[in-house]
Amino acid sequence: MTGLPGPPDRPVEASDELLLCYCTSLTVGELRRAVGAGRWPLPGKERTGKLCTGCLGDLLVCLRWFDAKPVA
Amino acid sequence: MSSNLSALLSATFYVPGYEHLVELIHQRDELARRRLASLDLAVYDPSGALLASSAVDPRAEILDLGAVVTAMADPPPRVMVTFDARYDAGVFPYRPHHYGYLHRSQSSDPSLYYAVNAVLGGVPDRVGATNLNNFETYVLRRHPSAARYSVLLGCLARWAPVEAQVFAHYGTERVLHEVTLQPRQHVEVPLEPERGGHRVDRVELKSLYRLASYVVGRRDGSDDLVLFDHLFTYFK
Repeated sequence: MTGLPGPPDRPVEASDELLLCYCTSLTVGELRRAVGAGRWPLPGKERTGKLCTGCLGDLLVCLRWFDAKPVA
Repeated sequence: MSSNLSALLSATFYVPGYEHLVELIHQRDELARRRLASLDLAVYDPSGALLASSAVDPRAEILDLGAVVTAMADPPPRVMVTFDARYDAGVFPYRPHHYGYLHRSQSSDPSLYYAVNAVLGGVPDRVGATNLNNFETYVLRRHPSAARYSVLLGCLARWAPVEAQVFAHYGTERVLHEVTLQPRQHVEVPLEPERGGHRVDRVELKSLYRLASYVVGRRDGSDDLVLFDHLFTYFK
């Protein structure tokens, strides 16, 4: 997302129940908890953002909200 | 969301003056068991503002977009309509498809039929597809009545803006149109019909992530739509 402004603070509507990736059925809450526990990417969710790619931008925004560390 | 259900978010664009119907489930069996688990509809103006949202009876077969939009107070000239479906993967092993029917009132032009663009969840994980979906193309057949072409783009992200590049090809010449869309914004990118004696013959779309996208053609004079089709993934 080079050249684009950073994401705003996490908005209220970004609730844990919200479906983030329609291809892998990952919710915002699942991502938040996995990142917090240092378990991202979760088994079976590795292809989040890589299939239809439609959620990729939102996934990157969420990872920044949740302060995810780069995956080695 | 129940973990037993899969999800698909599709989108189309509505402009006034057309009968515009969407067949919510194309696949049918004799017992008509193929129903969505749920379907939520949302309508956005070009700036991305939500104008309306509602749950649709998943038993419904046909949705009249004109009725939905004209029921709103002072709708803009173009809206993006999203279809947020939940479905049982056992009933729809790949995914459910929505199909559109488009015909201008009182027009003698033939009706247009199109597949509603599946944007989010268009490649469910169980299918195992690995094709890129955010690079798309469309080859324009020479259509004698289509004088003007354009590309309709909609951003279905909730929080992330996106930069998109639309390339129009004229023989060996290529013209770039760059667009930045905020979440749920949509835009129509007009294409020059001709350059250097060559008609526009191909369109490419590149973006960081998949957008709702259609190529449209309009008849000169009447402005009637004679083409309304989604782009296709480029790399196979």
